[in-house]
Amino acid sequence: MQYLRQSKMVLALLTLVLLTFLCPFADDAYGELTAKANHDHITIDSFYHGSTVSIRGIADPGMDLIIKVSSEDTHQSLRRKGKVGGLLWMTVGELDIDRVPNVYEVFSTKNIYDILNKDEIDKYSLGYQAIERHASMNVSGEDRTKWFNEFVKFKEASSLYSTSIGKISFADKDGKQSYYILTEWPYQAPPSIYTVTVYAVKNGKVVETASDRILVEQVGVVKSLATMAHNNGAVYGLLSIIAALGAGFGVGLVFTRQGGAH
Amino acid sequence: MYLYLPVALTSINILVPIGLGLAVGLLSGLFGVGGGFLMTPLLIMFGIPSTVAAATDSNQIVAASTSGTYAHWRVGNVDFKMGLYLLAGGFIGGLLGVEGIKILRATGNAGFVIKITYVLMLGIVGTYMFIESIQSMRKKKTEEVAVEKETRISAFLKLLPLQTRFEKSGVTHSIIVPLFLGCFVGILAAIMGVGGGFLMVPIMFYILRMPMHVIVGTSLFQILFTCIEVTFLQSYTNHTVDFTLAVLLLLGSTIGAQVGAIFGRKLRGEQLKILLAVIVLVVTVKIVFELTLSPSLLLSQAGGH
Repeated sequence: MQYLRQSKMVLALLTLVLLTFLCPFADDAYGELTAKANHDHITIDSFYHGSTVSIRGIADPGMDLIIKVSSEDTHQSLRRKGKVGGLLWMTVGELDIDRVPNVYEVFSTKNIYDILNKDEIDKYSLGYQAIERHASMNVSGEDRTKWFNEFVKFKEASSLYSTSIGKISFADKDGKQSYYILTEWPYQAPPSIYTVTVYAVKNGKVVETASDRILVEQVGVVKSLATMAHNNGAVYGLLSIIAALGAGFGVGLVFTRQGGAH
Repeated sequence: MYLYLPVALTSINILVPIGLGLAVGLLSGLFGVGGGFLMTPLLIMFGIPSTVAAATDSNQIVAASTSGTYAHWRVGNVDFKMGLYLLAGGFIGGLLGVEGIKILRATGNAGFVIKITYVLMLGIVGTYMFIESIQSMRKKKTEEVAVEKETRISAFLKLLPLQTRFEKSGVTHSIIVPLFLGCFVGILAAIMGVGGGFLMVPIMFYILRMPMHVIVGTSLFQILFTCIEVTFLQSYTNHTVDFTLAVLLLLGSTIGAQVGAIFGRKLRGEQLKILLAVIVLVVTVKIVFELTLSPSLLLSQAGGH
């Protein structure tokens, strides 16, 4: 009896061990997806003019990939222009838009609307339409799509939003597929922590994800000036005025000595 | 070479702000205007957020107007007494203007009224100055023009109490006149969100009858104090002054203001007036185009002028 009980326990234990090993592959039995941003700490110094970021990793062959680089959702307030009296273009109000990323870049191997179904697109906030559905805006109806498209145009003009297809390159590596993309990091992107997420897509669904982060921060003089401007506005203002007065007098004196003022 | 701007959160080729500063400083030294009506839109065009562009421009005008005032003071072309009265009036006008804009906003079409008033005022001032300067130049005998017969306005102004002599300008006025005119320009400047130099210069010439060269120096003196106040308030309340950008701008504008002052002394009053009139008219046409042509982007950052 005791032998029987021990045998059952050993069997249960073996089953548990087997399940533990098999579980990660239980879904669709895919390999490991990895993601690594090579330049994950971007420092903004006085001579900063943007950077380049490469993202690389390993993915199973035959998968489509989508790479999303985005900041956390935030609130944005912008001025809307419209025609007044059917003739003049003027500011007609504000556009308040909530739950949208400040920076958003998506790179994919194919058009995301061809390789993913709508539920998956919305679930992972992939593409402008998903952002629009997720966003909260102070306009509704037909105006909502019109002003969201204008918002995207505004962001694209500032190099803070972009989408592209076919820029991800692949190579075979030990029977697996390595992927790589090199992208320009816009200098307009403010200091923040950005998330890089890679989605492996098959049969209209995201089957695996991997992520990394990019830290963008100000350093040195840039950081000191920005901190002072925000935390000590009065002193910052006085110093700016004194510097301007000094520069004005200084140049005036130089010109006077050179005979310019006579 | 590019420099990163810590408050504007963008990067800029240093030649751009230095060049802009030089050009606008030149106008400042030449005509006694701050140049905000040109500089702010140009900075926005180069990717500076509108709030930062307007605030930082005030900071650089402090430098340009100091340089310009100094250059004009060295040759005795600043009427400090007149400048202080105009400044006091401007301060009161600024406060009234801020209240005025609240009333306009409450009525709804504030933006429309402000823009139309701005365009009309620029157009009328520019056209009047242009025609008047052409007529003056045709007469050639500038001395005769200076000793014109009394107009109804100048006769009325002489009837006002508290008359005082402004030695540097060579005119006598009631102190109510510069106070009132300063107040008037202050109200308009506050409502339109501009410095008001382009209005103050013609007012000094046509109503206060000051000599053109003294007008330029005195206008710069007044602008200096207005922009000190604006720079401090913008830094303190909105945190929108970008010191790095201001330094790049003032590198150009302080030199430009000196060069402008030198050029200005080589030109006659009528020549200065006609050049200013042309600039005012060009700005008017530019604003009319902005108002009537479809913009490429229907959204812009909140704040600024």
